[in-house]
Amino acid sequence: MSRSDHMDALTQVVVNNLANQHDWTGIAVHTQAGLPRPLLYGLPPKRLYVHPDEQIETIKAEKDRPDRIRQLPEQEWVLPLHLSEKWSPARFAQVFDAIHPVPPGRDPVTDEDDDDTAGSGGDRDAPWKLWRGPKRGKRLLLATVQDDSTVAYYWIHDGLVKPRQN
Amino acid sequence: MASPVADRQVRISKIAGRYLVFDIDDVVHIRRQHGICSVFTGTMPQNATQNVLLGLPVELYAEEARLLVDKKAAYIADESADHLTQLKTMDETARREYIASLKSQRRNAQLVFADAKARSLAKHADKRKPSPRDQVSKDGPAIGSGLDDKKTSIIDGAGGDTLFDSRPVSKPVPKTVTVEAMPAITPTTSNALIRPNPSSVAALELPSSDLLLAYLNARGYFITPGLRFGGDYSVYPGDPFRFHAHYLANSYGWDEEIPMLDLLTSGRLGTAVKKSYLFGAARNDQKAAGGPNVSADGDKGGDEDVRVFCVEWAAM
Repeated sequence: MSRSDHMDALTQVVVNNLANQHDWTGIAVHTQAGLPRPLLYGLPPKRLYVHPDEQIETIKAEKDRPDRIRQLPEQEWVLPLHLSEKWSPARFAQVFDAIHPVPPGRDPVTDEDDDDTAGSGGDRDAPWKLWRGPKRGKRLLLATVQDDSTVAYYWIHDGLVKPRQN
Repeated sequence: MASPVADRQVRISKIAGRYLVFDIDDVVHIRRQHGICSVFTGTMPQNATQNVLLGLPVELYAEEARLLVDKKAAYIADESADHLTQLKTMDETARREYIASLKSQRRNAQLVFADAKARSLAKHADKRKPSPRDQVSKDGPAIGSGLDDKKTSIIDGAGGDTLFDSRPVSKPVPKTVTVEAMPAITPTTSNALIRPNPSSVAALELPSSDLLLAYLNARGYFITPGLRFGGDYSVYPGDPFRFHAHYLANSYGWDEEIPMLDLLTSGRLGTAVKKSYLFGAARNDQKAAGGPNVSADGDKGGDEDVRVFCVEWAAM
């Protein structure tokens, strides 16, 4: 009982932080068989992660377009944790095995698709678009809560993912 | 050496618990064919603090030595024992072969020296004229410069008659060669002395294999020690001469508990040096499965069971 209370409190801290400090919308708690604890997902106000290869595809595609490609935000998974916890590779593997790369909420791109592809004639399978769907790898935001309710966010990717050019 | 590239057996010398490769051809081979670059550890005895540019031998991680042995690309020799036994059991023909090989090495060195000297003399030929020795010969009858050169060479040769008998090649070279003896050399390896003895591998205690290392190696990644970047390994997407490291990597046990603070600090550090922090573990932990089982599976079998994760700062 006390464990689930702790988990609820932890989750709530992260939900509040995402909603109020980082302006996320559509935050939902996701529970599923096989997951060691509830996950969160939601929509950040701007896009948080662009794979370096996607960046290259986007630049290539922009050469043939009059306008820049809009980088609309993507839904992201969030894993609430406390700093004092210790996680083994086995537990991370368990979480990644359970989830789908794309969270279940609504995606702004599919909703605004007509607007976005007006210029390029609805090329749904353009290489730069695949990164939001089939080519998207599994990734989570580690939301690590400190006792003073500071929350630090770090990406964790499943598999070998090369670093971004920043 | 003569053996084809594919089945070249690299000799890894185990000396005082360290795994060293002394043969430059072996070093090139493991770097090109097996993606293992390791660390040059040799320095100059006279100037041991000169450690910017180190030379042979190359020191391998124990895990890298294990990897090469598992790939059947190398064997490990216990040098102190091997040298003693081989030297004791050496027969007359082997001894003669070794002396012959030493001589040929000295001859090669001599040729190289002579060549270098001839080239430097040719290069400075015009500067040579006003040298003191030439001025001595000029004390005699004043002659033109072409004749002058001839005269000096005759004067030089006057000391020994053998000079012109033995080598009537180019002027400056024979003089240095005959006056000085063949150069003494210190062979960099004792390959000519030691016969490969792969049977010594079984007797040696091999280090446990690091499946993360094998996993990265199988994907063409190069690994160097990672302490400079705060991890176990720095992982390069190709030869470190050509690429910056992509990851700093740590290897953990499958059920090893990692404090979150370690993940965050490493992730933050990796991002600060434009890298991703990679950590990985093998599902069939060697401690649980037992060393021999893992090696019997071979690289491919264990490869599937390695899971890796990359951590980056989220910039939020």
